Parts: sequence; C-alpha cells; structure tokens
Amino acid sequence: MNQFIKYLISILVLTIGFLYLSDFIYTQVYINSKPRNKLQYILNTKNDNFDVVFIGSSRVASHIDTKLFDSLSHKKTINLGVEGAGLNDNLLQLKLLIDSNHISNVFLHIDTNFENISPSNIAISEAMPFLKNKIIKNHLKKYFKNFEKLEYIPFYKYAVNDPEIGFRELFFSGINKKPRINPNVGFIPKFGNEIPVIESSLPNIIREENIILDEIIEICKKNQISLTLFISPYCSKIKTEDYIKKLTNKFPNLINLSKGYNDKLFYDCGHLNNQGATIFTTDLYNETKGNLKINARTHNAE
Amino acid sequence: MLFNSIDFAIFLPTIFILYWFVTNKNLKLQNLLILISSYIFYGWWDWRFLSLIIFSTIIDYLIGVSLSKQENQTKRKMLLWTSILVNLGFLGFFKYYNFFLDNFITAFSFFGTEINANSLNIILPVGISFYTFQTLSYSIDIYKRKLEPTKDFIAFSAFVSFFPQLVAGPIERANNLLPQFNKKRIFDNKKAIDGLHLILWGLFKKIVIADSCAIYVNEIFSKYETMNSLTLTLGAIYFAFQIYCDFSGYSDIAIGTSKLFGIDLMRNFNFPYFARSIAEFWRRWHISLSTWFRDYLYIPIGGSHGSKWNQIRNVFIIFIVSGFWHGANWTFIVWGALNALYFLPILLTKKNRKNLDTVAQGKHLPTVKEFFQMLFTFGLTVFAWIFFRADSVLIAVKYITNIFSFNFEKGLQYLLIKRYAPELLILILLFIILEWNSREKEHPFFGKWIYFKISLTILALITLGVYSNVTDFIYFQF
Repeated sequence: MNQFIKYLISILVLTIGFLYLSDFIYTQVYINSKPRNKLQYILNTKNDNFDVVFIGSSRVASHIDTKLFDSLSHKKTINLGVEGAGLNDNLLQLKLLIDSNHISNVFLHIDTNFENISPSNIAISEAMPFLKNKIIKNHLKKYFKNFEKLEYIPFYKYAVNDPEIGFRELFFSGINKKPRINPNVGFIPKFGNEIPVIESSLPNIIREENIILDEIIEICKKNQISLTLFISPYCSKIKTEDYIKKLTNKFPNLINLSKGYNDKLFYDCGHLNNQGATIFTTDLYNETKGNLKINARTHNAE
Repeated sequence: MLFNSIDFAIFLPTIFILYWFVTNKNLKLQNLLILISSYIFYGWWDWRFLSLIIFSTIIDYLIGVSLSKQENQTKRKMLLWTSILVNLGFLGFFKYYNFFLDNFITAFSFFGTEINANSLNIILPVGISFYTFQTLSYSIDIYKRKLEPTKDFIAFSAFVSFFPQLVAGPIERANNLLPQFNKKRIFDNKKAIDGLHLILWGLFKKIVIADSCAIYVNEIFSKYETMNSLTLTLGAIYFAFQIYCDFSGYSDIAIGTSKLFGIDLMRNFNFPYFARSIAEFWRRWHISLSTWFRDYLYIPIGGSHGSKWNQIRNVFIIFIVSGFWHGANWTFIVWGALNALYFLPILLTKKNRKNLDTVAQGKHLPTVKEFFQMLFTFGLTVFAWIFFRADSVLIAVKYITNIFSFNFEKGLQYLLIKRYAPELLILILLFIILEWNSREKEHPFFGKWIYFKISLTILALITLGVYSNVTDFIYFQF
C-alpha cells in the first residue's frame, strides 16, 4: 500500500506542478504577445485619443464600417464590438479604455442586451490572462460568480475557457499569428444573405432598469464623454415593434435604426451583410453628425 | 455520477479509504460497502432508478437459488423464462415502448387505418441495457448448469451493481466477477498502479480525444447540408474516434477503478481500428457485448453451423439485434445490418477465424498488405458509423450522398466553432501513433519511457482537455 500511496502522491504533485507551470506559461504568452482580440488591443493602447468608440456585440462588430465612419466624420473611430458581448462586457471595455486613453464619443448599442447584467463567457474569457490587472480583477470580483475559482485554482481560468484561450489560441499567440480580424479597426464584415423562413419576435417584456447601463452612463458623465445609444436593424422576419417601443420610451434619445432595411442587406436576421453595413454606417453618421463631440486634443493637433 | 466529474473525484478516494482501511478485515462488510457505494453512485442520477435495479437483483437472486434446487425441467424452464421476461420486459418497456408504438401507428396509417395511442414520456434508466444483460447471463448460466448460484445476497447484489461497470459495462459474466466477491481481497500494489494507469489513459481518451472530436462532429453533423465532401468525410472519421475514445475510455476507467478495489474486469476493447477485417474488428470492439451475443444468441440459434441459408440468417439476426440493443431507432438497425453485410463474405469464404493475432506482432510497421487491409476495414466501419450517429436513416443517406457529390468547392471549410475542419487531424494522428506503439499492451504506460509518457499525458489532459463543455459518455444513453 505504501508504494501505491507514494506513487499516487507523486502523480498528484506532478499534476499540481503542471497546473501552476501551464498557468504561468499561458499568462506570460498572452501578456507578451501581439493583440489578437479587442480586449488585448485595449490593454495595449496607452495615451491614445479616440474621437468615436463603438461598443456592443457582434451587431456592432459587423454593422459599423469603421473606415467609412472615419472618412465621413474625419474623426478617429474604433469599433470594439465583440461577438457575444453584453452590457457588462462593454462596461469592462470602457473602464479599461478610459483608464489610459482619452475618449470623446461613445456609441453604445442597445437591444435585448438590456435584459442582461451578467458578464458573458465569450467576452470575459478574453480577460482571463489579465486577472492581475486591477480594473479587470475588481470588475470580475463584483460581477463574476466564480471569481475565487478563477483566482485561486491554477489554470482553471484557461481550462473552462478552452475554446477561446486554450492551447490553440496560445499557440497562435505564441507565434504571433495574424488574427482573422484586425482589432485595430474592429469591423468584421459578413458576406452573403441567409434569411430564415421561420418568424420570431423580440421579448414582450422589458426589465425595469439595468444597473450596468446606469454605471456606463455614470462613467461617461464623470469623464465628460458624449454617450449615444443606438439600435441597429433586424430583418423583416423578426417582430421588433413592441420591444423597441418600450426601449424608446425608456430612452427617448435612442437612435432607432431598427427598421427600413431590405432583407437583401442582411447576412442573417440579426446581422447586416457588408453592403448593409455600408448603408447603415452612413445612416448612423447622418443621424448623429450634429451631436459628435469634438476631441480637444485631436482638434488642437490638427 | 460521471467519471470525469468533481463528484467522482471525491467519491472514489472516500470509498477507497473506507474499503482498504475500515472494512478490510471483514469480507461481508467490504461487499456491503461496495453495494452501498454502488447504489449511491447510481442514485446520483435519479434515485428512482434504484427500485428497478433492486427489483431485478431480487428476482434473479431468487430464480438462481430456485433453479439450483429444482430438478423438474419444465419448472426450470419456467423459472428461466421468468428471469428473461422480467429483465427484457423492463428493457422493452423503458427503451423500446415508444419506438414500437410509433412504428405500429405509422404502419397502420400506411394501410389506411388510423390508431390513436399516446406515447409515454419515459426516462430511460441509465445503464439498464448493461445490468439486465449481466443478470440475464447469470440466470442462463445457472439454467445450463455452467454456474453454481450464490447464496450470499449481498455478494450477488454487489455483482449486479458494482459501480465501476454498472452504467456502461464491461458486461461481466457471473463466473468471472461473482467469485471475486466471495474471496478475500488483498491489496496488490502492482494491480493498483496498473489501475491508476488505466484511469489516466481512459481520462485522456475521453477528455482530450473524444470530447475534442465531439465539438467538430456536432458542428459537422448538424450542418451537413452546407458542408463539402472533405468536411463531411472528416466528420465521419472524427465520429469514429469520438465513439471509440469515449467508450473505450469509459471501459479503461471502469477496469482501472475496479483494479483499485482488487477486482479484475474483462477487457472490452483491443485496438479495434487496427483490425484487418470486419471479423477481427468485432473480436476487438465492445468485446463484452459481442461475446455475450455470441454465447447467448448466436451459438444457441446455430451459429456458423448448418446450411448456408441458416448461417446467413444467424449473422443477420445477431448483428441486427446487436444494433437494436444500442437504441430504439432505425439508424441502429441499419448500422447492424450493414455490419452483417460486411461480415457475410468473410463468413461464406470461411475467413472469419483468420487474423487472431495482433497485427505486425513484434514489428514496428505493418506490411503494405496489412496496412491496406486495416485502412479498408476502417473505411467500412466509418461508413457504418454515419448511420449510428445520424438522427435518422434519411439524414444518414443525405449525408452520404453529399460526401459522394465530390464537392470540394469551399476547400478547407471554416466552421462556426471557429476552427478549420481538418485541424483536429494532427491530434488524431498523434493518438494513432501512440495506440500503434502500445497495441500489444492495454495502455501506453510501460517501458523505460513510462514516467515521460505519464508526464506528457497529464500535461495533455491539462492543456488539451475539453473542460468548457463536459459531456456524458455516449454509451450512457444505451
């Protein structure tokens, strides 16, 4: 029995050792590699000035043609839309961005994400290697249920997020492989047109308040950032009227562009295709051009 | 309770300590501990399932005792049929009731008669197909006077419900497992360490290979209509490795866990993808089920004896029943029938007893002929797996049609899971090399590189394992 117990203990010690070693290597590789996602990009920006920042989910990432908005407005624009991101993730992005940069205008996309206050797995997983960052740590401590596991169990944060920051992503980060998207620009166009036959609708009920959105509004106010709330279109197969009416009642200044786009302009029911994104970006610019705040620093530099 | 869960990681050491340090002086107490822990393990899914297994245990125990006392052949037959009807009755009701009902309704409506019958919302008790076959073999063996029944109810109950193999096998025979419960177990270091190695290897197969394959397989099979021929072929190959690593991984963990308690279970897989013919494949795949069907169905109905027609009939019966055992769906029946078709030429040319040894024994590489034999056999099994995996026969046919449309338009397809379709191949190729090098053993942990291999396996488990989406073992559903 003694021999077996010694053997078992040596396997356990080896396993624990590997957990710590892997955790250390993964963290170092992600910290020291070139940005492959938008959160890494934000963490790498220092003392930068952004005139216009778009934040939201994939409906921002694939709807806002950053270069087009830049050329129309002559303002430095960035698209920080992340697939699967909710308001909570947007709040973290914003906190990180304003920590070491200057921002004039934030365009926040609001739709059914208003119903959720929790961080999303997809977006939060990108923050895992940077848990030592004070802002990330405090944010996740406040909003993430299993934060203690993430902090104290070695490699746990990488194991449970293996599709996003597992071995494959580590390998690509390690060799500095160019990502499929360019995080500096952030626009991820979609191509094609696959509208489903089945109809669906947005929820009938809207939540009373969203503390995360309140916090975003508060932060923008405190940092003198002009905040614009907007909603982008859905295809004709989705009934949106009831929900969006409730949303516009709550936020009278919401730029509502949820209707008026031909189904041919959609990749799927929630996402415009490349052609649709061009039209939408132009429309959004035209709707908001009068309200864009001028960035004193970039303005003076010009 | 899943083997790859935190619950089991706490459960196993607790039972191990109680078994070897608290109850080790008393055999009956040790068996009682195994019984209670097995019921806890099983009840973890749904405690209501316990009533079934307890009922089945009592019935077969009583029938076993009665059979040994009874000399009247008619009464003996009646006792045997009671066991068969009770066990298969449970299995039939829980597993096949809705299937037969739906098919009867469809058949009658085809002839213009509408039948109104409601299907039942039945949950299939985990492992029912495994433990009913185990208890059935006990009754049949006693009936055939191949086995003496046990009078120790606790030992018998522990044999029926032994937790490492309760929910997905290996389907044990009473003459192998039961005597081990009646004998004092002495801790054997070598056996326990071998058990640890098997558990480690089983976890690697399940968490690293099977679960990685599952992500690709689910994506490809669910969107087969938009996939090109290359991706669909890869999807089928990935499923072949998913099901093999999932099920053989489970068996390895079961056998390894059992060794920790000083109990030996039969081997369930023996590198089936290195088989040189379908006959050899079936000697190496799910061995405990194949031999069960051979001993209790194939041989009693005549086996490979008798006229050619009888031989063909028997082959179809055993393969179709074996397919149907897996689940109440026509896909499994077609899968079984396909394997029967594959097997027929081998049987008719009397080559079914060829290739009884391990391929390329004592050599590093196979001959060219052996290589192509293995490749061909693997190709046949992959083709049949498509039916096994598809939700319906129609979908399987469409999937196969799409493969043979030879559409390579989109090249290396990028899937919605954010991976290129062929990416997993590297991992699978490494796995094949590992398996090939250990094909004459049970696992790769042997020789002078043993500690290096163990370290690499642990590292692979940590860094390549799939933990974001913990999945059940596939065979739990059967």
